[in-house]
Amino acid sequence: MTLFRSRPLLKLVLQYQPAALLPAATKIHTSALLQAWKPEDHEPQKFLEYNKKIYPPQSPDEAPRPAFVCHQRSNIKYSPWKMWYIACLVRGMTVDEAIKQLKFVLMKGAKDVRETIEEARDLAVKEHNVEFASNLWVAESFVGKGHVVKGIRRHGRARFGRVEYFHCHYFVRLEEGKPPKHYYQHHPKEPHQQLEDWLQQMRKRKITNSI
Amino acid sequence: MALRIANLLGPRLLNEPLVALTVSRSHDQFVRHRHTKHWNPKWKTLRRQKVMRVKLPNFQEKPEDLSEEEIRSRLKEQGILPPRPWNEKPFFLSCTGGIFEAYVPPEGDGKISPIQVQGAKQKLQYLEKKSRTMMAIRKIKSFEEEFDTATFCKEAEDIYVKMHDLMAKRDLENMTDYVTERAYPEVIHNIENKTIHWKLIKNIELPRVVHARCTDVITKENIFGQTTVRFHTQQMLAVYDRFGRLMHGSEIIAKDVLEYVVFEKHLANLYGKWRVHGKIIPDWLPPKEPSLITYLKPTEETSTTETAVTKTSPDTEQEIPKESNT
Repeated sequence: MTLFRSRPLLKLVLQYQPAALLPAATKIHTSALLQAWKPEDHEPQKFLEYNKKIYPPQSPDEAPRPAFVCHQRSNIKYSPWKMWYIACLVRGMTVDEAIKQLKFVLMKGAKDVRETIEEARDLAVKEHNVEFASNLWVAESFVGKGHVVKGIRRHGRARFGRVEYFHCHYFVRLEEGKPPKHYYQHHPKEPHQQLEDWLQQMRKRKITNSI
Repeated sequence: MALRIANLLGPRLLNEPLVALTVSRSHDQFVRHRHTKHWNPKWKTLRRQKVMRVKLPNFQEKPEDLSEEEIRSRLKEQGILPPRPWNEKPFFLSCTGGIFEAYVPPEGDGKISPIQVQGAKQKLQYLEKKSRTMMAIRKIKSFEEEFDTATFCKEAEDIYVKMHDLMAKRDLENMTDYVTERAYPEVIHNIENKTIHWKLIKNIELPRVVHARCTDVITKENIFGQTTVRFHTQQMLAVYDRFGRLMHGSEIIAKDVLEYVVFEKHLANLYGKWRVHGKIIPDWLPPKEPSLITYLKPTEETSTTETAVTKTSPDTEQEIPKESNT
């Protein structure tokens, strides 16, 4: 082994420490690597991340931010396309009205949707500082495709068909306060608004070749 | 049916208003038609054999809800052996389970001014008069040569402030440096989904060591020391919920706080540290200020059963008129 100057070498080593030895190495984000080796049947997690966001404190003169809670139920044994109708029914309703209506919807998915909304209401009161449970309305209500199990069935003349057993995820976001009068953007306008729009259109006209 | 009616009535429909003749659809569901049954049951078995039966997993059940027998039967189905329980678990006792020989704070402490006789007497209650406390302090000094109540009070205040700052920041990793494992769940309780602003404004009275005890756990040499420090401070606390709305307290109003905080140190351990172990809350302290929010009162089922018992028992009935006379 040849002799060499140890002091500059030591300085070099101390300067460029391997990353694994630094305390920050213990906090390396490894979830992507871990998920690569896990089976793909985990539940959707991105929607519930909205519940973890903490907003900065507001000043007393600001209008209070309405509270909201995101909740979901995963892998309900129901077709997502059929569940979509139930999700659309509930949009923009108050929580009490939504639960009331869902009790009388004769579809299998209505039971799960009602239970999800009730759970979300309880969570809002317990964890998200919502004062009155009835002061909530359904701000978002949508469906996602879940697990699909494939089977086969026989048709006539020894032909085979695929049978798909669908599951769906139901997502709901409840917000505090009164629901808006119209949930969708394209709603019929009020008469006075229609009149104003008509007047604006009339005034915008230009007489061609005029000054 | 509607068509038949229309045919019978015929031209009369054109004259009379249709509102009176519209068939009300509210009773549609009272006559329901089933679409899942074939009209010819002769080929039922063959029709059933066409589709391969698939066992769908139940996604709504949770492993916690299953009983032991159910789990065992399922493992048997899969042909998997149950996981072997390893009962050897190394654990280290770094703190005791409670507060030994708790300090009993004198009633009216912190309210009486030092000018009055009682206040003056309280002030003169020197630590030297408490023999057991002094013995415990001597024991602590045998491990820690430079232990002094005056310097310890300053350290204790620093630890107290640091603990509250970490709690407000929700820094759970470094919390165990300032809080023992016994007090840890009490400190981190109910701090999720909130922003906490806490500040120690000033000391109304300087922190004072009022009590000390030493205990040994399992072996005689394994000694833990506990000291109670009295803090009379002015503090600011404002708790905001997840959306930035004020939930409790206020940014501008300061509150006088009288607390008896117990600190503990594992003296026999070379790397032991003085950490917050608990708090002594006497009964005579004023109750906590309620939050600004309204909530449903939890139903007290036990109280209803108690009133039923008192009504039936004759002894209590006799007592009640006696009390009303006096």
